[in-house]
Amino acid sequence: MTARRSVTKTLIGLVLTAIMLFPVYWMVNVSFTQAGDMRKSPPPLFPVNGTLEGYRAVLDQQLPYLGTSLVIGLGTVLFTLLIAAPAGYSLAKLRPRGGGALSFILLMAQMIPGIIMAIGFYAIYLSLGVLNTLPGLILADSTIAVPFGVLMFTAFMGGIPNEIMQAARVDGAGSIRTFISIVLPLSRNAVVTVSLFAFLWSWSDFIFASTLDGGGGRQPITIGIYRYIGNNNQEWNSIMATAVVASVPTALLLVLAQRYVSAGVTSGAVKD
Amino acid sequence: MSQTQADPLAVPHQGDEGTDPGVLTRGERRRLTGRRRSGQWAAWGFLVPVTLYLVAFYAYPLYRNVDLSARNYTVRSFVQGGAEFIGLDNYQTVIHDPTFAKALSNTILFTGVSLIFQFTIGLALAVFFYQNFRLSATLRALFLVPWLLPLIVSASTWSWMLNSDSGVVNAGLRVIGVDPVNWLTSPHWALASVIIANIWIGIPFNLVVLYGGLQAISTDIYEAASLDGASAWQKFRWITFPLLRPVSAITVLLGLVYTLKVFDIIWIMTKGGPGDSSTTFATWSYRKSFGSLLPQFGPGASISNLLILMALVCGLVYVRYQGKQQNS
Amino acid sequence: MTISTARTRGVAAAAATTCLVLGLAACGGSSGGSGGSATDSAGSKTYTVWDPYPQFDAAADWSKLIDKCGTEAGVTIKRTGFDTTDLTTKTLLAAQQGNSPDLLIVDNPVVSTLAEGGVLTTTDVSKADTSKIEPNLLAAGEVGGKAYGVPIGANTLALYYNKKVLKGAGVDVASVKDWASLTDALAKVKASGKKGITFSAIGTEEGSFQFLPWYWGSGAALTKLDSPEAVSALQLWNDWLKKGYAPNSVINNTQTTSWQEFATGDYAFAENGTWQLGNVKKSDIDWGVIPIPGKTGGTAAAPTGGEFVTVPVQKDTGRYATAAKLVNCLTSTENSLATDTTLSYIAATKDVQAQQVAADKDLSVWVAAVGAAKGRTSDNLGTKYPKISEQLWTAFQASLSGSKAPQAALTEAQAAAASAIGS
Repeated sequence: MTARRSVTKTLIGLVLTAIMLFPVYWMVNVSFTQAGDMRKSPPPLFPVNGTLEGYRAVLDQQLPYLGTSLVIGLGTVLFTLLIAAPAGYSLAKLRPRGGGALSFILLMAQMIPGIIMAIGFYAIYLSLGVLNTLPGLILADSTIAVPFGVLMFTAFMGGIPNEIMQAARVDGAGSIRTFISIVLPLSRNAVVTVSLFAFLWSWSDFIFASTLDGGGGRQPITIGIYRYIGNNNQEWNSIMATAVVASVPTALLLVLAQRYVSAGVTSGAVKD
Repeated sequence: MSQTQADPLAVPHQGDEGTDPGVLTRGERRRLTGRRRSGQWAAWGFLVPVTLYLVAFYAYPLYRNVDLSARNYTVRSFVQGGAEFIGLDNYQTVIHDPTFAKALSNTILFTGVSLIFQFTIGLALAVFFYQNFRLSATLRALFLVPWLLPLIVSASTWSWMLNSDSGVVNAGLRVIGVDPVNWLTSPHWALASVIIANIWIGIPFNLVVLYGGLQAISTDIYEAASLDGASAWQKFRWITFPLLRPVSAITVLLGLVYTLKVFDIIWIMTKGGPGDSSTTFATWSYRKSFGSLLPQFGPGASISNLLILMALVCGLVYVRYQGKQQNS
Repeated sequence: MTISTARTRGVAAAAATTCLVLGLAACGGSSGGSGGSATDSAGSKTYTVWDPYPQFDAAADWSKLIDKCGTEAGVTIKRTGFDTTDLTTKTLLAAQQGNSPDLLIVDNPVVSTLAEGGVLTTTDVSKADTSKIEPNLLAAGEVGGKAYGVPIGANTLALYYNKKVLKGAGVDVASVKDWASLTDALAKVKASGKKGITFSAIGTEEGSFQFLPWYWGSGAALTKLDSPEAVSALQLWNDWLKKGYAPNSVINNTQTTSWQEFATGDYAFAENGTWQLGNVKKSDIDWGVIPIPGKTGGTAAAPTGGEFVTVPVQKDTGRYATAAKLVNCLTSTENSLATDTTLSYIAATKDVQAQQVAADKDLSVWVAAVGAAKGRTSDNLGTKYPKISEQLWTAFQASLSGSKAPQAALTEAQAAAASAIGS
């Protein structure tokens, strides 16, 4: 009985996923379509007269951009964790005065549209000399993830039982030691979740890349796509092919990491 | 557990006064306050990076934006400096602009409808995937794929699918005998089209966060309910939903904040058109500042400040709601 | 023990982080406005070039040409390609912070905006050579009688047609001489089961660009958006949509997506530009080109497209000499032929135009079209043009999507434009 119910659910799940991913399928479809067939009506569901020229272009030209995106993504993850984890720990466990106000400000910080941030950063970056550099872009991309990260860590670490903390204190551990040796390992799920969000957000960021790294030597994939968006001419099969190629490694990452992804936002049992 | 009086080295849980403050000696009281103060130092020590980060990277751009909105910036004064201060004049211009009413109503509609559907669908999917059937974990991960795509690609894909003449959606409608709809070019449908695309993009976030919330609910409660003979719907209505309330609140708030900012999707799909039919504050602000050959930074900045104000109000409502929840 | 340790640790953490961040800021030097980064020292041998051609990478002919010009002038070039819609903002931002590039290649209607902002030097100051440039092409970059840049080439719009579709509909393309005959041809094409004409009517500058040949071809002027001639132009487009001669998707089409529709081979006509020449030759369409007809005959004035090479203002005026050398190199007769062939533009000087036609007869139609073309910011419209253009596209977007009648839409547009300019 359970087995049959499970199969029905799996089928329903597959159908739902197929509906959700239909636009992604369409993207793959376009990536194989010839230039002349782009606006054919009715549109072919399957690229019968397909072409690989989009993919050839991508493999020839886009790999450096993908590499740069990867470096930026990892850098953003590290930097975000570095800033958000301690802050979350403090807000959750150390009860600083004015902590509530800080949480509120972090919430507010996410309300500022990206373009405003980017324009504001331009002047700062120019004077700091980090315009058109990778560290600068990593810094900028982290602003997308840090407030959310603090929120996530605060909620998660709030769920760690205080007895564990007090036991550590009894043994003579200070705040930092408690944080590094006890709280962080217990927050593994939160670390993975925040890392995932930070990576994804930095991977698909365009506005910061364009404003702050437009002239840089190494640029992320979102700028790489613009190679195919010329002044008057756009190569859509190459654009979609780039997106497909860019999505494959991150999709794999997602499937592998999903076991740990648990965005528990309330204090609940910390299941290990 | 050590008592404050018995073991002066044990730091009592912050905020709780221990057992009997009146019994503390002056020395112990001084040590207690000292410990609390040292606790504050440690706490703020961990917060220093994030605070500096906030000031440098959020406060400064915000200040520049307010400055942009409060001065009369022409292209010349933007480049050379020396724009005169005009106070709230830009805001006045914006509010009296004929587009204001439509942009406001579109923003509210866009955000409201998107949120309702994103949340409901996200919740339904989270509950569905929580049942741990075969492949549920993989499928759940696959649901996050829309998130990986750069917005220009997702938005363009939706534009292609919704094209009046060569789009697959209209082709499908023709097959089942329904008249094709001008999704992106009709003033009646443009807003609906961008809302649909936005819902699609927002489902993964809701799914992940709500699923996490579901995981935090102890299964014991469900077992107890099963023993009492509760049906699946009853379990959801009386256990899951109430217990999810804090998570739901934060999901809705974050969703609201993110959706208010959305502009790429609308800009790429319809440019806010035709006319103003899919213009929201975010796209209007962008159009003023960057959408024509002659940038109007002042009005553009004012519109985005109004947007931030709207988000702020919602944030305050949330805080009051949270306060009430904690007191109840 | 615990108290002081915790407090010390807290203070230490705070101090360390503060030092780190302040150190970074201090190392960065003074805040914005004080001289750019790559272009500061007077003897710096690297010249930055910004252009709107992100599709050209380091190996493309265009980049090689710039490098060659740089070597001839004795400097190294650092070139960056930006998306054209982004370039204005980037330039303004950079200019504000004193970070302008040495050479800026930018779309022609933007030149007046940048000139007005004090971002560009006049050709008098930069000493770039404009003597051989065709006047109608140079006019687009002139403000108050002074030229602010040199056109690198020009492109404009004309009507591509599909010979097979026209033959199947029994239409002789020589008979298409004015609006009436064009509409007739479209009717015949539709009756034969094919689609009529495609163009771009999107709510951006691109849409205005495509509307202008019809607008000017009716005899209307940009200073009066609600004249009867202007209304007739909008009525033409409206009727085409209503009767199904043009697809509904034109309201959202860019020139590229419009071209893709033509490339399917189902359309008789496509209004598009010189830059599609390469594409049309690659496709398997049996094609031809005619100039866009005026309302009562003749060739309609089409707007000039194409970029200008400009020299932005720099703190170190000593750099202008080399910048001028670069400009003259890029727009010289010798190099112009190669550049414009790569970009698929028509050259800006009569000499090179002749060479282009000699090399490729198909270009003669385009050369004639460019000769009849007009700058959008010409007639001293300058920075008034963007405001007018925005109202123009609002008007035809409203009218084509059915929310307003042409006369009403244009009357509103004229009122809005007048008040925008007046302010």
